[in-house]
Amino acid sequence: MLLKHDIEFTLNGVKRQVSVDVTTNTLAMLRDVIGLTGTKYGCGEGECGACTIQVDGVSLNSCLMFAVDCDGRDVTTIEGLANDSKADALREAFVEHGAVQCGFCTPGMIMQADHLLHKHPHADADSVKRGIEGNLCRCTGYKKIVDAIVAVDGAVK
Amino acid sequence: MSVAEKKPRVIEPDSLIGKRIPKMDAPEKASGRTRYIHDINLSGQLYGRILRSARIHALIKSIDTSAARALPGVHVVITAADIPDQRPIGVARDHFPLKVGRVRSQRDEIAAVAAESEEIAEAALKLIRVVYEDLPVISDPEEAIKPGAALIHPEPHGADGTHLHLKQGTSIAHKGKPDNIAMTFDYVHGDVIQGEAESDVVIEDTFRLHYVTHCCMGVSGMIAEFDASGNLLMYSNTQVPFLHKREFAEYLNMDPARIRIIQPPIGGGFGSKLDIYPFEVICLYLARAAKRPVKMLFTREEEFLASPTRQPVLLTLRSGCKKDGTLTFRQVHTLHDNGAYTSWGATTPFVMMQTFSSLYRVPHCDYHTAAVYTNNPYAGSFRGYGNLQATFAIEQHMDMLAERIGMDSLAFRLKNAQDSGETTGQGMVFKSCGFKDCINTAAQRSDYTRKFKENEVNRSRPGNIRRGIGMASMLHVGGGAKIYPSDGCGTILKMDDFANVTLITGASEIGQGSETVLSQLVCEELGLPISAITVVNNDTAITPWDVGVHASRTTFIAGNSAIGAAKKAKTKILAVAAKKYECAESDLDLRGGFVIKASSGEVVVELSKLLRNLHFQDKAELVMTTFYYEPPSVHQDKGFKGDVSAAYAWGAQVVEVEVDTDTGRVRMTKVTGAHDVGRVLNRLGIEGQIEGGVVMGQGYALTEELLIENGVMKNPNFRDYKLVTAPEIPEMDISFIESMDGEGPQGAKGVGEAPAICVAAATANAICNATGVRMFELPFTPEKVYRALHGQTPKLYWKPWRADQ
Amino acid sequence: MTEPKHYFAPTSLDQAVECLKDGDVTILAGGTDLTPQSQSGKLRIKQTLMNIRRVPELTGITLEGDEIRIGALTTITEIMENALVKQHFPVLVEACDHFASDQIRNVATLGGNICNASPAGDTLIPLLVLDASVELASMPEATLYRHSMPLSTFFVGPGKTRRSLCELVTGVRIRVPGPNHIAHFHKLGTRPALDISTISIGIAGTLKEGILSNVRVAFGAVAPTPVRASQTEKALEGQRLDAVTIGKVAGIARDEVKPIDDVRATAWYRKEMIHNITKRMLSHVAQA
Ligand SMILES: Cc1cc2nc3c(=O)[nH]c(=O)nc-3n(C[C@H](O)[C@H](O)[C@H](O)COP(=O)(O)OP(=O)(O)OC[C@H]3O[C@@H](n4cnc5c(N)ncnc54)[C@H](O)[C@@H]3O)c2cc1C
Ligand code: FES
Ligand code: FES
Repeated sequence: MLLKHDIEFTLNGVKRQVSVDVTTNTLAMLRDVIGLTGTKYGCGEGECGACTIQVDGVSLNSCLMFAVDCDGRDVTTIEGLANDSKADALREAFVEHGAVQCGFCTPGMIMQADHLLHKHPHADADSVKRGIEGNLCRCTGYKKIVDAIVAVDGAVK
Repeated sequence: MSVAEKKPRVIEPDSLIGKRIPKMDAPEKASGRTRYIHDINLSGQLYGRILRSARIHALIKSIDTSAARALPGVHVVITAADIPDQRPIGVARDHFPLKVGRVRSQRDEIAAVAAESEEIAEAALKLIRVVYEDLPVISDPEEAIKPGAALIHPEPHGADGTHLHLKQGTSIAHKGKPDNIAMTFDYVHGDVIQGEAESDVVIEDTFRLHYVTHCCMGVSGMIAEFDASGNLLMYSNTQVPFLHKREFAEYLNMDPARIRIIQPPIGGGFGSKLDIYPFEVICLYLARAAKRPVKMLFTREEEFLASPTRQPVLLTLRSGCKKDGTLTFRQVHTLHDNGAYTSWGATTPFVMMQTFSSLYRVPHCDYHTAAVYTNNPYAGSFRGYGNLQATFAIEQHMDMLAERIGMDSLAFRLKNAQDSGETTGQGMVFKSCGFKDCINTAAQRSDYTRKFKENEVNRSRPGNIRRGIGMASMLHVGGGAKIYPSDGCGTILKMDDFANVTLITGASEIGQGSETVLSQLVCEELGLPISAITVVNNDTAITPWDVGVHASRTTFIAGNSAIGAAKKAKTKILAVAAKKYECAESDLDLRGGFVIKASSGEVVVELSKLLRNLHFQDKAELVMTTFYYEPPSVHQDKGFKGDVSAAYAWGAQVVEVEVDTDTGRVRMTKVTGAHDVGRVLNRLGIEGQIEGGVVMGQGYALTEELLIENGVMKNPNFRDYKLVTAPEIPEMDISFIESMDGEGPQGAKGVGEAPAICVAAATANAICNATGVRMFELPFTPEKVYRALHGQTPKLYWKPWRADQ
Repeated sequence: MTEPKHYFAPTSLDQAVECLKDGDVTILAGGTDLTPQSQSGKLRIKQTLMNIRRVPELTGITLEGDEIRIGALTTITEIMENALVKQHFPVLVEACDHFASDQIRNVATLGGNICNASPAGDTLIPLLVLDASVELASMPEATLYRHSMPLSTFFVGPGKTRRSLCELVTGVRIRVPGPNHIAHFHKLGTRPALDISTISIGIAGTLKEGILSNVRVAFGAVAPTPVRASQTEKALEGQRLDAVTIGKVAGIARDEVKPIDDVRATAWYRKEMIHNITKRMLSHVAQA
């Protein structure tokens, strides 16, 4: 049978314990074991960014992370960010700038943008584009997404 | 303040039209709260997985599912043998969901499993043993069409007249094919021989268009459940719920009235959900057999392997013009790789021929096409529907002809461009037409003429970076397309005691933002803020009929339908108010949630109060209206002639590139677009549609290609199937030409498909402007361009195939 | 997929190498190669899955004498942002900038890139031209044993290295270059990053009065492993970088590589690009 391992970590500010298959990835754990479906599956191979979450303050592809490696760490998903007023400006910018169409890429995009803005609060359009190069969007052509992220700089102050 | 002194409240006129209105569902989506099919789970649900063919073309000698059935956690395993009432599906009813006797492509469905978990279902698939007998693989349509080529669909061949494979079910007889030709189209207006005789210049070239696919970020999936009485509930992302109800019913041999389709938010569509695919029918079989809800989701790899593609086309175009720049004729032959089965891709000639016959004035036009069966992936409908392919060829020939007669390519286009009021050889009537404005605007804003000349001169300068600029134009249906006897859409509208509106529309939202535009149109009519509306658009048990989301029709058709219902509600409200306040209806209007005096804007009564009065009186009444809109377009005749759409969308785009001659890499630096959209309803929404379409066109032109070798897909992943990423996008300058269509909702036309159409053609022209080298084959990957620059690309020539030869 | 029987997350180097003793262990670092490879069935996870992410001895970038040591667990992002690396090895920063995406750079480790031994591995080309060596640790008896070997001898095939099953890569060491050192990297792809190199080129050496010596040239994605280009190096050694030399060297480089056709490019195109980009890079060096 599948080898299970107990882990304990902080998920969106709340401590929790889970028993996971050792080979499960974090995306599958979040969606299928824990039931948080805001983080999306787009490829399972690190190529699309739909599954982006933040762990210990850095963004990463949850589909590439073994769930067991969450042990002892601080994990934030879009659900956590959605309840964080510090991210209000970012979410509002996405809405106001038309950065959301089908919305499937949006949670990953926002998680990545949030990380980017933490590191580079005044990122210009070119560095925003590089910053989200790991997030595919098939609907928007990215322009409005870039506009939204750049606009947050002004909105925060 | 005394009552007498109190000034009456005045509501200033305001309009929602043309504003930047954020999508209504965006806050939910930006919070990760939206539940797509992937996120919905029903209690008791099982997981379905499909076993696909390990061979490209083979006979199935035997299938052994016993080990899979024995695996703990497996509920059902099915093969064709378990479904005796299977019926052929698809646009030509030419395949079974579960393949019978023979596989014809890599994606072919052989067996399916429903199990307690995806892992168990996956493990069960690995236990199924299939014995095949290989058949010759045909992956080149030119081979497939040769006399004596092995047949992909050899049925019917039984002695009693029934065919060997497609015999289950039976009520729809599949005719079988003596050859590999799936579908042909022949269109003619004028006489090309005469046209050629009148020409001073004639050119002929072959173009090759490649395989690309939709790559919706949300993979395909569905959930099916039969209730205790045998009613079927489906969670599906189909674009065509009402027509598909009937089709599903036919495939399941059940009453369509017992099928209900709920459409959860979709993770991208772009035309991919226009047909019914085997996985959907298989999911229903599994749910029926398991008597449990079954959820089926693709992996990304499966999405690549088993989704439809854009149709690859080989196209030979012969065109001519006079020295003065008048186009004389156009003769087109195309060969479409249909893949192993027929889906909507085979019917893209409907749209291609419109571009050939009617984008410019051409007195003589011949268009012949054949879609042929091969063992490749099968082609479906994809945003632009054949128009990218047609435009690629035509717009390069426009530049080439202009060059041959020494005319400026912009003047040449303008000379032949359509105007409003014209009726084309194909019978299309252009009531509103901003085509010339589009061409002029795109050219001026990009400084096309100056740059074009400058780039030509700079070609001989030292250095490895060459700049180029190129233009292309397009025509696409913008007021629906009457491909079925009806192209209509129904609306139900109700208002509550608080002056909130519920709009119940047949038009599905597939990510394009129709929900917001429809809301704007209704609120504009009723003088309400956008926050006063709720849209219901995703449940066939509630919503009225609609033909489906395709042909860029939703804004136009559903928009007119919604306006119709809103107008009826307004008439009713004003009538009540007029009676109550003893004035003429025409003296009143609705604005800002109030009934006002039309002349001054003075408030007469709060709308919600009026509605409550209406409701809570002796003869209680509610404001509820319905409307069905059918556009004034006509079903085409047998020769494909007729005014098929109520309006037409126009556009011109100028693409600027930098070509690195050391590597062949093409960087798209800027796209200047001008689109005749009738009228801008939601500026934010339409900009997003155009930008997204341009970048999709960029991928088609430069980076995307499904590599198929002998029927095998070499790159079913985002690593090697390259979508455009953020750093690669060009600067975009988009203008809207507002031609105010007389029939359109508030003057608008549909443009969902328009923006992707020109990009590849304009890019080809830009590369030629930069380097002097013509590219006849997509996509313009570095290696392909490098080869062309170094004379390593043999001239492409395909001798037109003729049915009568 | 095969299932491991044990999961172990050591918190010290001793624990980690001890665990490796029986050899039937799959090492997990950032997981950006391991996850897709194990899920697609390309790689089988062994009896024990050992997650080395909590081993402190494997982290950090330090100056030790005239060498800089980069711990195996250092992520690509950490390398890019490190002051020592920026100062001494801008070529490595350049390569990291073209590596995958931000999300992957944040977790992908240098040790993982080395041990994955892809012919297109992006840090490997600059490390080769910087004469980096690989540090390995094992526990043959009861005590820790360390040794190192030049990176240029480490790779034996795609995904194959000289690391024995009982060894852990603990880091790389690079000598701080002397004055007049130059080093350049070019990755050819259609995107700025998130792209597997069609080819990549590293060139380094000492440039003094227009003459290049101690030349190191390495190519990626043209052979089963990243390779040093000995003939190209020889042709460049001690030469003045004029147009004739550059043209000749570029030709030698093209003839030296033996790439293959794949979905990304044909061998012919790869050879052409080795020629054109080598030429372009050398011209830039000459002009600078
Ligand atoms: C979408 C995507 C894009 C990518 N783009 C690039 C790119 O542009 N350039 C590039 O070079 N690579 C790229 N990669 C590959 C990958 O990210 C790198 O190879 C990365 O450096 C691997 O590091 P890791 O820590 O994630 O390794 P892991 O996946 O944890 O391990 C990789 C291999 O090395 C072994 N290993 C790891 N650490 C050690 C150690 N200390 N000692 C012994 N063995 C060890 C593991 O057992 C495993 O076999 C990409 C990957 C993905 C998914
Ligand atoms: S699902 Fe993780 S990157 Fe695509
Ligand atoms: S909004 Fe649809 S993928 Fe980005």
